[in-house]
Amino acid sequence: MRSPRRHLLKLAWSLCVLVLLGGIAAAQERGGTLTVALNYDLDTLDPYASGFLTDVQATFLAGLVAPDHNAQYVPVLVTEVPTLENGGIVLTDDGTKMVVTYHLRPGLKWADGAPLTSADIKFTWDAIRDPAYLGPEKNGSAEIDSIETPDDLTAVVYYNTVFGGFKASLFTYGLLPKHVLEGKDLNKDPFWDAPFGAGPFMVTEFKRGQYVVVERNPYYFEVDANGVQLPYLDSIVFKIIPDSNTQSTQLKSGEVDFAYNVPFTVAPTLENVAGLRVLRAETLGFRHITFNLRNELLNDLSVRKAFAHGVDRAAINKALGGYMVPTNTFVVSIFPYSSDNVPSYEYNPELARQILLDAGYAPDRDGIMAKDGKRLSFDIMTQAGRVEYELAQQVVIAEMKAIGIELKTDNKSGAAYSQARREGDFDVWYSGWITPADPIDSYISFYGTGGFNNGGAYSNPEVDAALNAAAASLDPVDVQFYMGEAQNIVLTDLPAIPLFEAPSIIVMTERLQGFESNPTNQTNFRHTSGWWLAK
Amino acid sequence: MNSTNFTFLARRILGSVPLLIGISIILFGVLNLAPGGPTDVYAEIPGVSAETLENLKRELGLDQPVPVQYVRWLGAAVRGEWGYSIRTGRRVATDVKERIPATLLLGGTAFLLALLGAIPLGIMSAVRRYSTVDYVFTFLSFVGFSMPIFWLALMLQSLFAVQWHLLPSAGMVSIGDGSFVDRVRHIILPASILALAYMASWGRFTRASMLDVLGLDYIRTAKAKGLGNGTVIYRHALRNALVPVLTVIALDFAGMISGAIITETIFAWPGMGRLFIESMNGRDYPVLMALLMIGSLALVGMNLLTDIIYSFVDPRIRYE
Repeated sequence: MRSPRRHLLKLAWSLCVLVLLGGIAAAQERGGTLTVALNYDLDTLDPYASGFLTDVQATFLAGLVAPDHNAQYVPVLVTEVPTLENGGIVLTDDGTKMVVTYHLRPGLKWADGAPLTSADIKFTWDAIRDPAYLGPEKNGSAEIDSIETPDDLTAVVYYNTVFGGFKASLFTYGLLPKHVLEGKDLNKDPFWDAPFGAGPFMVTEFKRGQYVVVERNPYYFEVDANGVQLPYLDSIVFKIIPDSNTQSTQLKSGEVDFAYNVPFTVAPTLENVAGLRVLRAETLGFRHITFNLRNELLNDLSVRKAFAHGVDRAAINKALGGYMVPTNTFVVSIFPYSSDNVPSYEYNPELARQILLDAGYAPDRDGIMAKDGKRLSFDIMTQAGRVEYELAQQVVIAEMKAIGIELKTDNKSGAAYSQARREGDFDVWYSGWITPADPIDSYISFYGTGGFNNGGAYSNPEVDAALNAAAASLDPVDVQFYMGEAQNIVLTDLPAIPLFEAPSIIVMTERLQGFESNPTNQTNFRHTSGWWLAK
Repeated sequence: MNSTNFTFLARRILGSVPLLIGISIILFGVLNLAPGGPTDVYAEIPGVSAETLENLKRELGLDQPVPVQYVRWLGAAVRGEWGYSIRTGRRVATDVKERIPATLLLGGTAFLLALLGAIPLGIMSAVRRYSTVDYVFTFLSFVGFSMPIFWLALMLQSLFAVQWHLLPSAGMVSIGDGSFVDRVRHIILPASILALAYMASWGRFTRASMLDVLGLDYIRTAKAKGLGNGTVIYRHALRNALVPVLTVIALDFAGMISGAIITETIFAWPGMGRLFIESMNGRDYPVLMALLMIGSLALVGMNLLTDIIYSFVDPRIRYE
């Protein structure tokens, strides 16, 4: 039997739930424009050809999968991320090749309303791998032998190897619309003046040197828990402001609502500004000192060890506002295979001097350690104009002087810097790396023999073997084992001293809600659909 | 201007062709000698392979010897084909054409402001030498010379945009606006700051040049004839005093075409100076060559123009 009281209770409950739901729905306001400061002169909106990270591109292109705020891959245009367990990845040819199968969400559309199908996946691969296409970001295209599209929603990708990093490239940046671009010259097509994809927004205006406007994509597939179509924001304006001081002024005056990679030296002046929130976002970036082992003196392990014991991370961090987190390894702690079990070199200038004395060095008249008439005097390079690096460099110079090593600044910028660091035109190099969410291929390029970014010419076959084994493995346990080994050997050999994990300082209006930072090189703008502005 | 002047001009114009070719050879050589190349910036992206960059170099013709590259560039350039930007993938002409109006607008406004300030101040300062006006002007012009632009810009931005909310701190237009008033509001700060340095320099030149002329005998004669003060200063002294000042102004004008790098960067102004810096960092050779040649052309052209103006201002100057 039902009592009227129970009815009433039920009614009250329903009302409560309704009010709550209504509250949530009303809380996430739809509409509004967010103005973002972009601190570089964007060259092109083509993500595969740009010399910068894909901040703007991430708002209008959607890939098959994307890394989330924990650097874990989540499905975007597909129903699930392919793994060995769910059968999305199948190893063939005795485990030397793999086949990856993607299932698109049904009913997907491009921002112009045309249907998005598996043919677009194949087209994107064909377009990027085409040698006539000059965009340099072709990573992950050469490893594919062929792509089959048995139906509109299914793409079967045949790899010619076991490629652990398959998620980090190509299909993550975003699919390109076949119906618009087929047969066009992708290098020069006017499509890139106002491009669109399947992302939450679409470009409506690109004024070079000034701004990019992206507006809501009416055909975007995502809806929130209440069935409201995303994105919440009407538009995002990216204002190009190359000067970091001007950027800070614009934040204070309310002319921009959001800035990221705010220099550590500028951030403290924004900490207590009303209406602004300063966030330390975790990134996959780390700072390091790298040695050029072609240099006869730096090739001596005891010199590098003295260096490592002579560097006071706390002092550098203090000079930079204390935003960074000291580390002993080159794998940042967000990755499960970051190892604590590596040789560490605590700050101890006495020990550093003793190591040099034991190795036969003795201070000369100027207090610089020397052996056989060769002084421990080196050039230290960093990126000119980057205040954070230049400050850290000055601290390192002072610290090394204290243990009898002389360092002279030799800073470069732009292409000159880039060439010098890759081709080893430096003695000691202070800098930072930021890796993709699948970083092992990057580690191979930093520390592998002949690696593309191995400007210090470090070479150890054991490291090569461990890193290659980790890259070719899809089993997390194996990856953990090989990566532990690789970290251990690299930190024993000390071709580089990892110093800090570096956060990205993000300053935003307090009105911005639903923001989650993204630590990967897929940028903070990879998941803008859930951002909204409180009134 | 008479016929000998015309012959002279024709000779000068013809003569500037080999000059410009010579300049282009030097520029092309120096750019290629500078460390790093166009493909190096892409190496900053994790995941870009050496093979990709080699392929890119081949496609762009960067694997050819520098003289071959130069001849190709020159051949295309004389046909008016400036090629494609390596960074943006667009026509160099398009990229440059977009930036010229912004630079001319900022530079032109600053130029006008400076001219309107510098010449009267210089004259006043010279005529009333050692007066309070002179001392104040001298002091201010040294401040103008030595003040770091970036510091002054920061101070004014934070005063006008953050404290008083009177003017926008940077940019050329408000997005979605672009009305005349909006553009004026945006140009006030950068143009004033850019004008300040010009004003200080030209004002000093005008003052010194006026002082030289005012000490000459013919000025004393003019005064002795009983001519009014204004006539002596403006008709007799100023016309002669302006000749050296014109040279300085003309050369500064040529420099202005290349853009004001610091001011444009601080005020997020989309001009030629910023395009140059970005292209330099990326070693975007086609854009760099176009920008540098425009700068050189402006310099050669302004020199020529100055010579012509000379003959108007000072009829004694004849070109044989």
